[in-house]
Amino acid sequence: MPCSVWAQVAPEQTGLVEKLPPAHPRWVFATDLVLERASVVDIDQSRFLGVVPAGYGTFLPLFSRQRPEIYLPSTYYSRRTRGERTDVVEIYSTETLGFIGEIPIPPKRALNRIALNHAALSDDERFLAVFNWTTGTSLSIVDVERRQFVTEVDTPGCSLAYAAGPRRFFSLCPDGSAFVVELDDDGREHRRRRTATFFDPRRDPVTEKAVRAGAVWYFVSFDGVVHPVDVSGEELRFLPTWSLVDEQARQQSWRTGGAQHLAAHSRRGLLFALMHRGGPDTHKEAGSEVWVFDVRERQRLQRIPLRFPGATIYGFAIEPDRSWWWPLPWLWQRALDRWIPPLVKSIAVTQDDDPLLVTSCEFSGALGVYRALTGEFVRRVQPIGWMTDLLFAPYDGDH
Amino acid sequence: MFSMSKGLYRWFDTLCQHWARRLAQETSRRSFLARVGALLFGVSAYPLLPVARAHTARREAVPGEPGLDHPEGDPSQCQYWRHCAIDGFLCSCCGGSQRSCPPGTIQSPVTWIGTCRNPADGKLYIISYNDCCAKHVCGLCYCHRNEGDKPVYYPQRSNDINWCHGINNVVYHCSTAIVLGEAKNAQ
Repeated sequence: MPCSVWAQVAPEQTGLVEKLPPAHPRWVFATDLVLERASVVDIDQSRFLGVVPAGYGTFLPLFSRQRPEIYLPSTYYSRRTRGERTDVVEIYSTETLGFIGEIPIPPKRALNRIALNHAALSDDERFLAVFNWTTGTSLSIVDVERRQFVTEVDTPGCSLAYAAGPRRFFSLCPDGSAFVVELDDDGREHRRRRTATFFDPRRDPVTEKAVRAGAVWYFVSFDGVVHPVDVSGEELRFLPTWSLVDEQARQQSWRTGGAQHLAAHSRRGLLFALMHRGGPDTHKEAGSEVWVFDVRERQRLQRIPLRFPGATIYGFAIEPDRSWWWPLPWLWQRALDRWIPPLVKSIAVTQDDDPLLVTSCEFSGALGVYRALTGEFVRRVQPIGWMTDLLFAPYDGDH
Repeated sequence: MFSMSKGLYRWFDTLCQHWARRLAQETSRRSFLARVGALLFGVSAYPLLPVARAHTARREAVPGEPGLDHPEGDPSQCQYWRHCAIDGFLCSCCGGSQRSCPPGTIQSPVTWIGTCRNPADGKLYIISYNDCCAKHVCGLCYCHRNEGDKPVYYPQRSNDINWCHGINNVVYHCSTAIVLGEAKNAQ
């Protein structure tokens, strides 16, 4: 009997491409250095939405809130690992995740291990600064509205790019000062100055992985001292320092550390710090807890014990399904939650009113999700890739 | 004897067929992969154990260092004494050694330095972690230690910087750990 007699599935149309729902505060972008892309994940629905591809090496996507665009400084070689090097700022659509265009920039962008704060979008979202490293340091200034490279500003010995106003960026210098550059309306250098030193890079350096809440950048040192930098005024203002660790925590060797060890909730004025117990030189260790601080009161509100975010291999989540015989599912969950250390290297926080804390481990394509205000574990979201480097939850709004 | 072993083989063959068919009938491809993944995940965690060793690595003994039988004297191990401030893939596992790049790569002349103590003589040495470049990442024997490491704005002591910028190709492959000399005035 011909099979077609029994066919129950209607013929389908070819050529369909999914359209995205509107950008959402609970979208998380997770960079994956093995697959060279950022995964876009809806952590509310546990749904993988798509990817933003990247070029060679580490990368930092930047997100416009005014335009439905993502900016991605990228590096390419004409023969993949050799040939002519081309650096560009790629522009992707937030509405379709499709490629919109690119802006060539000097082939100098820094490709350091952790790409955080290696590029920044000005507060008016017109200019983008890309940190260059050729053993000399500079910023490539790009006009993203006019889609053109404007100029290169040398930053004598100072590194990284932090946005500090509609036309202003600053970099960190090896003596513990900041180098500030202001642009004119065309994106050219208008004014430059160097601040006084605000931390001691030899005794207790701040990490590069500062986060911003409103007009204040929060830099945190290896020993857990918070150095707030207010960028709202005409000059950068270094606010009084305070510590993440009290005497008791210090005696218990609690420290902050990780690849992306800080996150902030801007409207609530909350600072989240990934913490572990360890000695000196453990500033990149994986964390086992997240501590939540009220930055106005400079007080700890919450300690969130973490779980291992989840195990994946080759894009498969290693988790029980119906084919696992008892007691394997029970043992597996118990192993994940009790016996495997959390190994969390990166954290991010959504910016809605009931924020979620997102965690990841660099060796798996999985996210751990918690209620940021209570610490309650919500779920694992997996698989999202082959590894996870950096996390971003860029969109504001009420959920 | 021959017929008995032949019968045993046949019985074993039948048993394997039975289990293979049952496995194929009862498990989906995805769950099979998940289980293999679980096994591989366990296997992949093995190198984290202190007894793990890269058997394919080039292990070059150096006079004046702990022997190859000690983790601090084995260049294929993260605990090797020179690796105290390294962040990258060990060239010893990638066809090179602790002081040489793998064939066909290019060593970057600029680098970051660490100060590590040799347990054999108790002295501190300046270690130069020259990156080997111009081929895609080696991917073997990842090691991340941070003694004396500083952030990237303090470049000469930062292991997060891609030092392949020192040549005309920033494609990173692996890292060496070369002794520059004794540290007379270590910080």
